Amino acid sequence: MTTATRNLKRFFSQYKVLALLIAIVAIWSFFGYITDGAFLTSRNFSNLLRQMAITGMLASGMVFIIISGEIDLSVGASLGLLGGVAAILDYTYHMPMAVTIAIVIALGIFIGLFNGYWVAYLRVPSFIVSLAGFLAFRGILLGITKGTTVPLDSQGLILIGQGYLPIAFGNMLGLVVFLLLAFLTYRTRSGRAKHGLSVAPMWQDIAKLVIVAVVIAGFVTALNQYEGIPVPVLATLIILGIFTFIANSTVFGRRIYSIGSNLEATRLSGVNVRLIKMLVFGLMGLMAAFAGLTTTARLAAGSPSAGTLGELDAIASCFIGGASSRGGVGTVYGALIGALIMASLDNGMSMIGVDSFWQMIVKGSILLLAVWVDVISGAGSER
Amino acid sequence: MSEYLLDMRGIVKDFNGVKALDGIDLKVRAGEVVGLCGENGAGKSTLMKVLSAVYPHGTWEGEVFWEGKELKAKTIRETEEAGIVIIHQELMLVPQLSVAENIFMGNEITFPGGLMNYAAMYKRAEELMAELKMPDVNVALPVHHYGGGHQQLIEIAKALNKKAKLLILDEPTSSLTKSETEILLDIIRDLRRKGVACVMISHKLDEIAAVCDTVSVIRDGTHVGTRAMSEMDTNEIITMMVGRQIKNLFPREEHPIGEPFFEARNVTCLDVNNPARKRVDNISFKLRRGEILGVAGLVGAGRTELAMAIFGCYPGQYEAELWLDGKKIEIDSPRAAVTQGVCLVPEDRKRHGIVPLQGVGANITMAVLETYAKFGVIDAESELHQIGKSIERMRIKTASPDLPIRGLSGGNQQKAVLSKMLLPSPKVLILDEPTRGVDVGAKYEIYKLMFELVRQGLSIIMISSELPEVLGISDRVLVIGEGQLRGDFINDGLTQEQVLTAALGAVGMAA
Repeated sequence: MTTATRNLKRFFSQYKVLALLIAIVAIWSFFGYITDGAFLTSRNFSNLLRQMAITGMLASGMVFIIISGEIDLSVGASLGLLGGVAAILDYTYHMPMAVTIAIVIALGIFIGLFNGYWVAYLRVPSFIVSLAGFLAFRGILLGITKGTTVPLDSQGLILIGQGYLPIAFGNMLGLVVFLLLAFLTYRTRSGRAKHGLSVAPMWQDIAKLVIVAVVIAGFVTALNQYEGIPVPVLATLIILGIFTFIANSTVFGRRIYSIGSNLEATRLSGVNVRLIKMLVFGLMGLMAAFAGLTTTARLAAGSPSAGTLGELDAIASCFIGGASSRGGVGTVYGALIGALIMASLDNGMSMIGVDSFWQMIVKGSILLLAVWVDVISGAGSER
Repeated sequence: MSEYLLDMRGIVKDFNGVKALDGIDLKVRAGEVVGLCGENGAGKSTLMKVLSAVYPHGTWEGEVFWEGKELKAKTIRETEEAGIVIIHQELMLVPQLSVAENIFMGNEITFPGGLMNYAAMYKRAEELMAELKMPDVNVALPVHHYGGGHQQLIEIAKALNKKAKLLILDEPTSSLTKSETEILLDIIRDLRRKGVACVMISHKLDEIAAVCDTVSVIRDGTHVGTRAMSEMDTNEIITMMVGRQIKNLFPREEHPIGEPFFEARNVTCLDVNNPARKRVDNISFKLRRGEILGVAGLVGAGRTELAMAIFGCYPGQYEAELWLDGKKIEIDSPRAAVTQGVCLVPEDRKRHGIVPLQGVGANITMAVLETYAKFGVIDAESELHQIGKSIERMRIKTASPDLPIRGLSGGNQQKAVLSKMLLPSPKVLILDEPTRGVDVGAKYEIYKLMFELVRQGLSIIMISSELPEVLGISDRVLVIGEGQLRGDFINDGLTQEQVLTAALGAVGMAA
């Protein structure tokens, strides 16, 4: 192998996030140029992020499934089912909004745990369990809606999908998030220094924070220029925060990575690996419930075809975002950046009037390329 | 020109500077059965891999003469065409395919155009089966219908079909029952009469004595000697296999030993694939407080299986009754074992010990992570504090506890796995091959640590294939052979010969 490709490989494996950001800049510049800037308006940006939110929610749950070395093909169908149930509870049974949401969330967790139980305790490969769910959940949805679209009554529910945050609130939120990140950086530094561990140079951390500040400011300003931060986008960002915390700072998160990297060694260390696996699927179910509620709210109706192919977008987002097809590697923010890339492609290609069959071909090719990059960047390190 | 079918001269093979073979000779006449003996790691398998071109010509030094001509094979296919066929310890059959399809795999008889000629293959397969005295085998049935013994013979049929002149059998009887072994030995004698030579690698010296004409012994990669079986007995083979002095590599320290407090009763494990065979056959033993109990035996004797059964992770069917401090304890999973004070450092570090992508620190605290957490949230500070202490105590060399553990040397990985299993504060610590793939310096440190631990009242069960290590460290030695407890010795003037004799079961129990 030539040094050039080896360097390229090292670059990609070390700075995966950077490579992803470069990809986003490239995609946005391309579509911006082609559409004479229409792609880069704050209105389209807001639209794009709302498109991304649903895939992002699914991808946040999916990335843990992939890290633990499994797969879930049923989330598109369970999204549809849960969204349909929400619409039926609201329209047919006139349930209060809080009750509808609570029931849908409980049902989502139940569906996830059910899948997880089959995978972890009954040892059916997750590919098969979720393929079964892929068929069965969609079937249940078609049965309970009789194949028709169910409209929504509750304005509150619709707001979840279509509402925006007040502009002042958005600005404040941006500031709070920045201060929180700055505080966390400081705490990590002092904690590591206390135990005599190597600390990244001060300029590096400061540079990071400056970049973060610019990104947050740009993000909030752009959205505020239109109507403010959309509610589903806010929900996705909150999920990003919570899930990143789970991944980095909880026993559960540590176990997920450990199981994906070496299941046997984890089991032999006295870890209840089955329970962890089942809970990961439970979390996925919760995310499917959120995504289902958001989808139904956004369309103001429960559609029997909602969420079709949603699982594939979510899975592709995870792999594009650097999760490894061998398990053990992946990040929530990576998966969300992956979802952003997917949404940008969808949105941009629709804008310039590319046929939808081309969109499928392009997305398929990108998924293939992303996993190939993972395989070549991992090949040397397997030894 | 030569009287030998095979003549290997001065074979040297090194792995990154470590000589696995250091000038080995091996000679085989046509129709002769040669036993190849040596301790674990002596170089038997490496030698056979050189011969069968698993290591191609050029990756080792020395010369191989085959039927008088130098053989410079680069691929296994070339050696097979020459007539050298190796049958590995793990059989290479496809269970779902028929007996005939397995026999002809890669050498299928076909019609022009590639269509399989089943009639011809069945006919030839039946002839081969008759030759091996198994005429009642239905060659059209999938291989998994037949047991381990038959499968071994099907492998031999496959080799004969390739017109093998020399068969290499690597531990052919290790998964066979007594009666199946008898049949196999008969077949080997039969083949000898037909002029097929055979190299048999086996730890079972009674089988070597029963079937071999000559015996070659190798030790630490060197050729110790070749003699006719008729001129010697199994005890002499053992002496040749051991033949070295224990140097003082072992920092033996005095420590008080208390009363028995842990007991395993009637441990029996059935083979995963062949449940008719017992990997561990009704073993019972007691462990004293502060004792290092060595478990010796040859590879495949059932030592690891015994440890797995005690730790609750044996993959097949098993029974084990465990007593700790006078109370019966139930261990049905590694989790149950760890919480009740029994920890295991497994033999296969890569597969069962380390979580390669995670940091050294995360590996160390893996078994007790919950204790550093409140409501599931890890207190990074107290975890780091413990990691720092463990790394310092074990002198694990790593630039940072965050570095993935797979980048560390074998010795440092082993120390990390050891510290992982010490954090739950076990009462019984089982170490399966604790110094395998570990450099001398780290070995010494691991021994030191073991003595430190037993002085604190912990008890250690150490499984090891290195006899000098067993004798240098243990207070008491259990010897396991073919799944049975063959000896229970106080390590006071115990010799390698005594242990090996018990393990091989050549002579009755010595103590």
